[in-house]
Amino acid sequence: MAPKKAQASSAAAPVVTTGTTTSTAPAVSAPSKKSSSSSSEAWSNVATNILKHYQKTTPQRTKLIDLFMAFLVVVGGLQFVYCVVAGNYPFNAFLSGFSATVGQFVLTASLRIQTTEANKADFPSVSPERAFADYVFGSLILHFFCVNFIN
Amino acid sequence: MTSLTSFLLLLFTAVAQAISSSGSRLLVVLEDVAEKAQYSKFLGDLEGRGFEVTYETPKSDSLNLFHLGERSYDHILFFPTKAKGLGPNLTANLLLQFINAEGNILLALSGQKQAPSSIVAALSELDIHLPSERTGLVVDHFNYDVTSADEKHDVLLLPTPGALRSGVKDFFSPATPNGEVLALPQAIGQVLGNGALLTPILRAPTTAYSYNPKEESEVLGDELFAAGKQLSLVTTVQARNSARLTVVGSADMLSDQWFDAKVKKAGGKAAVATVNREFAKRVSGWTFNEIGVLKVNWIEHHLNEEGQGNQSNPKIYRIKNDVTYSISLSEYEWDHWAAFKVPADDDLQLEFSMLSPFHRMSLKPTVSSEESTTYSTNFKLPDQHGIFNFKINHKRPFFNNIEEKNTVSVRHFAHDEWPRSYAISGAWPWISGIGATVTGWLFFVAIWLYSKPTGKGESKKTR
Repeated sequence: MAPKKAQASSAAAPVVTTGTTTSTAPAVSAPSKKSSSSSSEAWSNVATNILKHYQKTTPQRTKLIDLFMAFLVVVGGLQFVYCVVAGNYPFNAFLSGFSATVGQFVLTASLRIQTTEANKADFPSVSPERAFADYVFGSLILHFFCVNFIN
Repeated sequence: MTSLTSFLLLLFTAVAQAISSSGSRLLVVLEDVAEKAQYSKFLGDLEGRGFEVTYETPKSDSLNLFHLGERSYDHILFFPTKAKGLGPNLTANLLLQFINAEGNILLALSGQKQAPSSIVAALSELDIHLPSERTGLVVDHFNYDVTSADEKHDVLLLPTPGALRSGVKDFFSPATPNGEVLALPQAIGQVLGNGALLTPILRAPTTAYSYNPKEESEVLGDELFAAGKQLSLVTTVQARNSARLTVVGSADMLSDQWFDAKVKKAGGKAAVATVNREFAKRVSGWTFNEIGVLKVNWIEHHLNEEGQGNQSNPKIYRIKNDVTYSISLSEYEWDHWAAFKVPADDDLQLEFSMLSPFHRMSLKPTVSSEESTTYSTNFKLPDQHGIFNFKINHKRPFFNNIEEKNTVSVRHFAHDEWPRSYAISGAWPWISGIGATVTGWLFFVAIWLYSKPTGKGESKKTR
């Protein structure tokens, strides 16, 4: 299984590089004529490349973390907009609802930092299992506090 | 037998109460005790209303307003005397002490006799001023009695006074005014200061003036004391302790001669009877606390919230509590306590105050019986904790003062008295925000644990 995947990734890599070379070539050759359309094309290419690269190289649990963090940003944003639009009464409810989301975001970000392969060197003594246990413990404390505070 | 005696005792106390609300001992001061025949109808009316009348002359040695520091009499009635002073037993100081001890004084003066110096001094303490040299005669060349004073014009004929202003009860007019007139023969006018305790009952008409009859000048000029509405002919003072003093400018209007006299106004057609007797009854009745006396029967306040104890007059409330305050008031009417009715255009007000009032609201009559009216109001306590007073400060002309203060503590919310956030609909989005975060987190943990072996295997294998 692993060789297959490795093969697939290695096979995909040249495609990506060729794609970038082909797309950038015309932009370089004719910068003055259709600069706006070509640049936007270039930007969308960059975006799709980043997306593809992300999808290829990111482990599945990191993707899960990112998905959860995006969800938290949406939930926190909605709560903040509601506070701005409808007023902050009762304020303790706003504080605990919003800080639950923000706190969860921060904890999840820490988990992401500690479990990323690239940061392995920074946390030699923290295994991913240990990081996850810490994360669960911290989250439970956060939820306990927030549910208490919202009364 | 015992029941019969107790019944008789009850009857006796009931009869004994059928008089003034503040005692029945009345002292009448006359120049000569024989003079009382002149006022027999007025004094007979007073005795008929239950007063125990004692007659004294100012010179009498047995006359003492106080005995062992207590008042010997509840009320004093002064008729004019010839003497310049009233002797050591009736000094101005003693008269003021008598008022301070909640005694009432009715003072009848006359334009023909000089007012005694001690009375002039006592009156000037109260900001009531008499003409200089203590004599003055009020004349009116338009409102005089043709039959008796065709030449001197010193018998004034005035309509009954009516209410002082809107919102003040009219105590001194007959129940059904029918164009009757009051006759004021040989009256002395008073000029009033700005004191808030002074209230005139009867003012002179605009065409009247006061002059000194002893001045023998042909032209009136500098010696004119006062004129028109400046002159008060019947004046009342109600002290802060609700003691009452009335100055009647014309003693003759209380005499038998003028009680039933037929008078004819200048330019008038027929002779009409005076209402002096009715007016004298009302003025003396007011002065001697028979009318216009208010009494607080009880005061009650309680929480007005569901599911809470309904204890009466608690010592402590919480901020923003709904509270009901009630006060029961009676008004004395000649011989019995009756329901007090606030005059139209007037209000009975309650203050809820800590140093300054936080609320001032008018009380509405809720329960009315024959003997009392209950006034009450519901309100929400202010959002401020501290020591507060329920305060009634009712001071109106011709009614005695009511000043009632009930102190309560107002505490802040206890920590478990705040509403739960789910009780406040505005908090629901934030509650669901926490809910979304927690459920999202649970899903995240579940998927993480489920997907972990693959990730681990992958990481091991990539390594």
